[in-house]
Amino acid sequence: MEKIISIKNLNYTYPDSKKPAINNLTVDIYKNEWLSIVGKNGSGKSTLTKLIDGLIDADSGTVEIDGQEINEENIWEVRTKIGIVFQNPDHQFVGATVEDDVAFGLENQGMPREQMVKEVDHALELVGMHDFKKRDPQTLSGGQKQRVAIAGVLATKPRIIIMDESTSMLDPEGRRTVLNLIQNLRQQQDLTIISITHDISETELSQRIVVLNDGQIVRDDIPKNIYNIGTNLSKFGLEEPFSDELMSTLRDSLELPEGYLNEEELMKQLWKLRSNM
Amino acid sequence: MEITFEHVTHSYDANSPIANLGLDDVSLKIDDKKFTAIVGQTGSGKSTLVRHINALLKPTSGKLTVGDRIITSETNNKNLKPLRKKVGMVFQFPESQLFEETVEKDIMFGPMNFGFSESEAKDAAHEMIELVGLSKDYLQKSPFDLSGGQMRRVAIAGVLASNPETIILDEPTAGLDPVGRHEIMDLFKNLQSKGRTIILITHNMDDVANYADEMAVMSQGKLVASGLPSDVFNNQELLENDLLTLPQSAQFAQSLAQKYFQFDKLPITIDELSAEIKQQVNGD
Amino acid sequence: MNKLIMGRYLPGDSLIYQLDPRGKFLLTFYFVGIVFLANNVASYVFLMAFVLFAVYLSKINFGFFIKGLRPIFWLILFTVLLQLFFTPSTHPIWHWGFLTLSKEGMVIASYIFVRFVLIIFISTLLTLTTTPIEISDSIESILKPLKKVNFPVTQVALMLSIALRFVPLLVDETTKIMDAQRARGVDFGEGGLIKRIKSFVPILIPLFVSSFSIAYDLAIAMESRGYKDGEGRSKYRVLKWSRRDNITVLVMLAVTIILLFIRSY
Repeated sequence: MEKIISIKNLNYTYPDSKKPAINNLTVDIYKNEWLSIVGKNGSGKSTLTKLIDGLIDADSGTVEIDGQEINEENIWEVRTKIGIVFQNPDHQFVGATVEDDVAFGLENQGMPREQMVKEVDHALELVGMHDFKKRDPQTLSGGQKQRVAIAGVLATKPRIIIMDESTSMLDPEGRRTVLNLIQNLRQQQDLTIISITHDISETELSQRIVVLNDGQIVRDDIPKNIYNIGTNLSKFGLEEPFSDELMSTLRDSLELPEGYLNEEELMKQLWKLRSNM
Repeated sequence: MEITFEHVTHSYDANSPIANLGLDDVSLKIDDKKFTAIVGQTGSGKSTLVRHINALLKPTSGKLTVGDRIITSETNNKNLKPLRKKVGMVFQFPESQLFEETVEKDIMFGPMNFGFSESEAKDAAHEMIELVGLSKDYLQKSPFDLSGGQMRRVAIAGVLASNPETIILDEPTAGLDPVGRHEIMDLFKNLQSKGRTIILITHNMDDVANYADEMAVMSQGKLVASGLPSDVFNNQELLENDLLTLPQSAQFAQSLAQKYFQFDKLPITIDELSAEIKQQVNGD
Repeated sequence: MNKLIMGRYLPGDSLIYQLDPRGKFLLTFYFVGIVFLANNVASYVFLMAFVLFAVYLSKINFGFFIKGLRPIFWLILFTVLLQLFFTPSTHPIWHWGFLTLSKEGMVIASYIFVRFVLIIFISTLLTLTTTPIEISDSIESILKPLKKVNFPVTQVALMLSIALRFVPLLVDETTKIMDAQRARGVDFGEGGLIKRIKSFVPILIPLFVSSFSIAYDLAIAMESRGYKDGEGRSKYRVLKWSRRDNITVLVMLAVTIILLFIRSY
């Protein structure tokens, strides 16, 4: 697997704080991977995002994006490779209409207008918001706003998309459409997805989960193994998966295999038990 | 307090050339001392509905009765304090209402407006801060130095401090991590057991299944269903028309019923589901 | 908050909507200027006919224009009454103390009234048919020559458009905070002046706090999307001046000439 982000011995402490927000953190993120970063509020997840995008400067350590170490000179170039979708859809909408907002990143690159018009249309097609091109953001639902934010990020053709709790303020319907979209985009566009979340169902879509606590990585594993720790997940700011919770209430009278099963696997086990009767 | 809506219609911009119905002929009874959940998609009128209960909004037509108060379009804006004292309201992202220098002063703000003496308000602040799961050390801090989750708790304490009989909650756990969410929901369930009426707006159907006694479903300003959660979640018409999503347990049961299993009525909580599965597998 | 009709855009697609906003913006100001040239009944009737024709072309419900008068109703009434009773005259119809009612007074008062109506209608027409962002684009385009003296035109225009974009958001936030504090027992508009002013503290502080947090979030989001300092940016929106706009300018010229003619008549 090819690395796309490589972080080494990263440290960061906020100016008005004594405790480091990121504490000697080292991690590699691979191309086309979907990585979930989880952890309680205040565990350093959002700080890490900002360090990866060079929005704040690390006290020490290095961040390499696509083989390039971030520094003063190349920061703007590196940033074009990363797109961030933030938590509050209202606080990241720059344009007065949907199309204006999608164009913002392209305007910043100084792209000629004819090309921009094509790119904006294309990005809006990708997220299924083309019909809303002329609309005022105020008239959109939360999920639609986030899809526009994703289009704005896609327009500049990044390699990496960071979802910084981008579904946490959406209703279930909005959350579902945004996650489906991201899943499809990752496959079609060869993107790397980093999603910061509290939502267990969102982590189920990822290939790897990194658990942060006090600015350090305390776990780094595939979802199945992380879910295995059951009720202790709450220490990491995650809910116990539904299948696991159900299994623990069934164990006293049914014979079920050890370890974590997802909902489908559990259903198969139950069907087996029922048909054996 | 019992709350009754009788044919309540609310139109935003009633006098403007573009009228906009927020509520459309809603009749609903919310029982005293019960935990009632109100669900529906964004923009379905849930928030408009509850804002009538403490007269932040008034009906364009129809009337509602809150305890012994009657609210109609004619209701005067004066003398609403006694009503608002009885009906506490926790807004969505309530941390944005904090403004005092200290947590203590902020919690005391509501009670003092409602005529508590300073020492009564102080006592209330000391009691509430612990009720919401923070220690008394927080009282002298500035609310703006706290984390988002802590600010949320302080804001909730500020509403509870006036000792309302009815507590309205508009998605009180949005954006909190799972631990915080459970703690806050348990706190409200606990308040109900102490004799409060709880009205909860939520998108989380598991919270409805686990905590609510009654539920109401809104869509496009209309009340489309109300009753016991176990009945409403088994209402096929609502589900087919996409007006309602199911709690996880019911969804799981539905999938499980593809083979071998059969549910006359979908279980809505984990305990119900687990009991059903055990019974069907073990056959006892 | 929605009661303010002036300054609110109403989506639509009639001829007036399709005009170049720069033209609409400048011609509106121009029209307000020539309103003061009218000096007799005929000239006022003519201008009113022109404005009503423009309103007709916009295909917007006339009610919106009447509503536009409402916010300054008291100002109009006060000015009209002032003219009505304080215009000095040698042939008063009615006289009481320092109040004088005369034919001249009545004529001047009605001119003033019509002048108000003309100005309000035409500017309401501009704001109803032009989005705030089009107005801000127009201002940018009109100010462009100032770039030569190092005035940061593009930055100011972006600032203006972002400010406009966040007005509705802050209005929502204000309503929400007011509701929240009302629910905590604040009574706005009750008690003496000091008490009233004090009751706004619980609104202003939270509003400042959220404005700053929105500004911070937005700055981070803009930087992450590659916004540096406004230099080297290209522009997605373009304004197009077309034949329609030329015709509109000609019509306005014709209106001026006819007005000058009626005036000296």
